Amino acid sequence: MGRTAMSAGRVVGAATAVALVLGVSACGSSGSGDSAKAGGGFTYWSMWRSDEPQAKVLTAAIADFTAGTGIKVNVNWVGRDIAKKIGPAIAANQAPDLWDESDDNVYGATASAGQALDLSPVLEMQVPGENVPVSQVIPAKYFDMEPKDPSGGTHYVIPYEVATNAMFYNAADPAITAAMPTPPTDWAGLLKVCDALKAAGKACVASEGEDPWSNELFFDYLLNGAGVNVAQLAADKSGAAWDNPAVLAAAKQVDQLVKGGYLIPGYDATKYPAQETNWASGKAAFYMDGNYVTSEVAKEVPSSWKMSSLLPPTAKVPDATLFGFAIPKRAKHIDAAEQFIAYFMQKKEMIGISTTALNITPRADIPAPAELAGAQQALNSPTVRQTFDGAAGSWRPKVLDQNYLDFWHGKTTPEQFVAKCKADQVSYWQTQG
Amino acid sequence: MATTIQHPARADRAQNRSARAGATGVGPLERQRRRTFWPFTAPALAVYLVLFIAPVGYALWTSLYKWDGMGAMQWRGLKNYSLLFQDPSFCTSLVNTLELMVIGGTVTFVISFALTLVLREMRARLFARSVLFFPSLVNGMVFGIAAGFLFSPSGPVNQALRLFGVTTPPKWLSTDNLLPMVLGTLIWTATGYYTSIIMAAVDQIPDYFYEAAELDGAGAFQRFRHITLPCAWDVISVCAVLWTVSSVKIFELILLFGGSTNAFPPVSSWNTALYVYTEAFPQGTVPRLGMATAAAITSLVMVTVITIVLRRVLRREPIEY
Repeated sequence: MGRTAMSAGRVVGAATAVALVLGVSACGSSGSGDSAKAGGGFTYWSMWRSDEPQAKVLTAAIADFTAGTGIKVNVNWVGRDIAKKIGPAIAANQAPDLWDESDDNVYGATASAGQALDLSPVLEMQVPGENVPVSQVIPAKYFDMEPKDPSGGTHYVIPYEVATNAMFYNAADPAITAAMPTPPTDWAGLLKVCDALKAAGKACVASEGEDPWSNELFFDYLLNGAGVNVAQLAADKSGAAWDNPAVLAAAKQVDQLVKGGYLIPGYDATKYPAQETNWASGKAAFYMDGNYVTSEVAKEVPSSWKMSSLLPPTAKVPDATLFGFAIPKRAKHIDAAEQFIAYFMQKKEMIGISTTALNITPRADIPAPAELAGAQQALNSPTVRQTFDGAAGSWRPKVLDQNYLDFWHGKTTPEQFVAKCKADQVSYWQTQG
Repeated sequence: MATTIQHPARADRAQNRSARAGATGVGPLERQRRRTFWPFTAPALAVYLVLFIAPVGYALWTSLYKWDGMGAMQWRGLKNYSLLFQDPSFCTSLVNTLELMVIGGTVTFVISFALTLVLREMRARLFARSVLFFPSLVNGMVFGIAAGFLFSPSGPVNQALRLFGVTTPPKWLSTDNLLPMVLGTLIWTATGYYTSIIMAAVDQIPDYFYEAAELDGAGAFQRFRHITLPCAWDVISVCAVLWTVSSVKIFELILLFGGSTNAFPPVSSWNTALYVYTEAFPQGTVPRLGMATAAAITSLVMVTVITIVLRRVLRREPIEY
């Protein structure tokens, strides 16, 4: 009895061990590309995971590129952690020859420290098969909005996808068309639309109350409309920039949304994506977010839904986030990587970003997917700006976020909010050293 | 007075003499033991040095510089530390860390003690213990994700409360309740874990202690106070240290409860681990590794001091049985 129990125990133990070994080795064998050496080619670390549509578009382009030029590309689909990994990789001299990320991350992680290559030569290169230089298909306005790196350049990222933030809504919703026959042209007009919606029993704005970023976009756009540059506001070490009456006026406009009861009830007691879901099911009219929200809710909304977007009425310039290629200064195969960037700028390759990945490209001659037509139209503006005018780093978490959430939840007045931000900004800059 | 001072000194001298005598006149077994001491200890020591002491030393060194992890390091001396204590968000983080440690620890251990009181004597106690232990097997992240559904205004928790007549339940998920929610989850997962460890010690206490106490008329609480507590004291004090150390490292729970895809959790819910993270991996800018390591070293010093004090305070003569 004891013997059988013992041997049964051993069998179970051995089986477990075998299962574990198999499991671990299965993990080990599926990871590829990591160890691949760039022999006559170059290495590319991507912000996309291999199962994302952008990765599929890029994979197809890489296959075409290698077939056409004979240059091999060793891709590593890193995912969003790439911005955290690139710095240590550069420090250890293990940097890839090419990588991609959003412009703020390329700037933050590499360009601001002088570690990103100036890609001006790429802009001079011909787009294969199109007889025009890259600079002619990628509008200069996208580079003009970028902060300068230590050598004064802004050509450290070449975009292949552009995103913008706006208030998204369903233009086929009769309640919305009744409340908003034409898009409002000023803030009071928007509030009127909100009033009409409220009277019709629909909340005006759905908001994830816990998320500072998307809710701060209202303030960001209002400041832009009032001529206040958020990056300059954030950079003022004395905090005096907060005394600008335009800042308080923008805060008061935000407060009208909060105190007017235009935000969806319960917004301050839920977690993402509760309110996005409420908006997609028609409980609120507008939802402020990046244009990726259209693909996020694509499966939730009925086919009758007609996605449209508008900016808060006073905003002068739409914001844009670029997703594009960058090359670390310490890369070893710069020529090959630059050739690939120019190659992907072709209409026939980049169009996949619109048709397969359902996003907007920087090329004006590639139409955006239907649900993003309005967003692309906004981006056709002669100038664009970075979200928060590029104010980055710990300023948002340490100065703006907490204060804005308290304000957005109706716990503080506009005056208190501005005063608190000013005070926190002074101590923030004192600890930046 | 004089004798009590002199006495330990004399004892010391005596001990020194015997130690010196021991060095020369030891038996063969002892000699062999000493010869094998270093060969056997060195590998462990080397691993400890390379994997623990060296990184801490490196962090200490980095904390004296301004460094983005890529470029040249700029000497800062102790300025990072003084900046740290001027930073209100670090002070908030420090207070929150202590809050999680003290309040979380107190509640966890009070509940654990209450449970040992019950568990020792109840029927099906093995089953009850498994049930209690289960939450600590589940990754804290699961709670973070489930909370959004469970505690939403129309979620199951509020619906259950409505059955009991609570018409205006609290806004569980509001940012004000972030830290209490994290604390609640923490207590819920930790209680079962510590109860299991303490119960393992309680099981070793001979039954006749309890029987004798019962005959003497001791109630359940008195039996706990005069038998369970002193007999399991060693294990309890180890548990207290384990809690202290682990409470400082809580990180993913706060990030998951309070963070969103685009932003860190609000500062009011940060602890030192999260502060280190935000300095080391800020959004859209280069890391401030000097500040991050300075914060990490400060929290290491804090937990070391607290652990030493805790060990001192909890030290008792071991009871043998």
